[in-house]
Amino acid sequence: MSDFEPDILTFCCNWCSYAGADLAGVSRLQYPTNSRVIRVMCSSRVEPIHILEALKEGTDGILVTGCHIGDCHYIEGNIHTDERMKEIVDALEHLGLRDRLHLEWVSAAEGKKFQETITDFVEKIRALGPNPLKNNKKEE
Amino acid sequence: MVEVGDKLVGYATDDEVRKRGASGGLVTAVLAAALEKGMVESVVVLKHIDEYEAVPIITDDVEEVLASTGSMHSVPVNLAKYAVDRKVAMPGKPCDIKAVIEQSKRNMIDLDNTYLVGLNCGGTMPPVLTKQMLIEMYDIDPEDVVGEDIEKGKLIYRTKDGNEKAISIEELEEAGFGRRKNCQYCQLKIPTNSDLACGNWGVIGDLAGSATFCEVMNEKGKKLIENAVEAGRIEVAPASDKAIAIREKVNGVMVKMGETTQEKVFTQMPDEERLPYYREALADCIDCGGCKLACPVCSCGDDAKCTLFHSLGDNYKMSMFHLVRLLHLSDSCIGCGQCTDVCPVDIPITRIQMSFSIPVQTKLNYKPGMNADEKPPFFEVMIK
Repeated sequence: MSDFEPDILTFCCNWCSYAGADLAGVSRLQYPTNSRVIRVMCSSRVEPIHILEALKEGTDGILVTGCHIGDCHYIEGNIHTDERMKEIVDALEHLGLRDRLHLEWVSAAEGKKFQETITDFVEKIRALGPNPLKNNKKEE
Repeated sequence: MVEVGDKLVGYATDDEVRKRGASGGLVTAVLAAALEKGMVESVVVLKHIDEYEAVPIITDDVEEVLASTGSMHSVPVNLAKYAVDRKVAMPGKPCDIKAVIEQSKRNMIDLDNTYLVGLNCGGTMPPVLTKQMLIEMYDIDPEDVVGEDIEKGKLIYRTKDGNEKAISIEELEEAGFGRRKNCQYCQLKIPTNSDLACGNWGVIGDLAGSATFCEVMNEKGKKLIENAVEAGRIEVAPASDKAIAIREKVNGVMVKMGETTQEKVFTQMPDEERLPYYREALADCIDCGGCKLACPVCSCGDDAKCTLFHSLGDNYKMSMFHLVRLLHLSDSCIGCGQCTDVCPVDIPITRIQMSFSIPVQTKLNYKPGMNADEKPPFFEVMIK
């Protein structure tokens, strides 16, 4: 599986992580191009259904990023994210999709961390192999 | 007078009711008295059709309540949704009561207006399989059956000609009959979450078979009993220590059986087998939506996430409908088995759902349907 290029979906919150991604860009930090960013107003906007749909459509890994605990623009949004992601990670593990979802806090000042997170995650998914749900459309 | 926490043995004063009820007719009499005295507007009861069929009815007629059935082991219906938006008193198995409490947490049922009379339940049986079991295992024509009993781990059927035949439940379950699968690993046999927990466990001596053991669980249960005593419909006396001990013992044995079965049924699956297993199991789904309709915990209505984001055009193999339901109910599934029962293509949905729910509920230390004040953990995120 040497030519496998993972498709990564990154959810960034509008207030911290998106600005963090921006900073990584203006600082000219290099990171893999496998990831596509979706900006959401708050990381807690990301629902199980978004993650399931993405996996079902063949995304290999999903990264959810948000403000650090205590820094949320909406005061407690990311606490909800934290609780919710824990459950989804467990559920995916139970379904046999271990390690395909990752939650990371990235602040607006952490361009470097954003770069590292993406790089690490892409490598992790590359090692894990393609999403078994890929090409899931009914064939017979 | 009666106090909360009291354990009583009682029976209906009306001989006819006492004889017809499964054990002393206390439940029927309590429900009738509640209706008679205006505590509630209506009562949900099962109307007897035959040994394998009974339909839930909502009635405000005392006579109809008195004429309702005794216990029906082969009618696995869940009554919770009959209580929505009504001021009712209803009897219920532990899973009925659990469902009512879950509905109340979702603001569908006002518990202050709902009186719950719980019935001890060792498990229910699917009607069609029961008939088949009678023919294959018991060699009895299902039409000839006049009564059934469970005693010392044996299921006894009495026929018209006065004969009876007993086969141990273990043996039946090994042959694939007996209780519904989810009942086999259910671990709530005495409905301690109800207002009044009734049953025949712990009724001993002369009264055996013609009296009911009941435990007053809260203020509402106390009101129910006091009201029925005042109305002259029941007679109660405190239960003896021996009776209480026997009830505890029966309960202990049943719960232990449930725990053992649960360990046997829910074994850990290796990582790589999981996804193929779920895909295989859910592949047969014909998208009828029956499991959502029958689920006594679901309360989203028509605009539910499980149906809104799902389309048959997606694919069958990994149905979004089921994925969303698995996640959505993982904290709240009570394991009542209704979804498996209604499934027209025989997908063991309850088993699949519980394999998600048991670890989640264990981790969150949350038991759905037990305590109305405890909100589902996904509703409330604690700010630590």
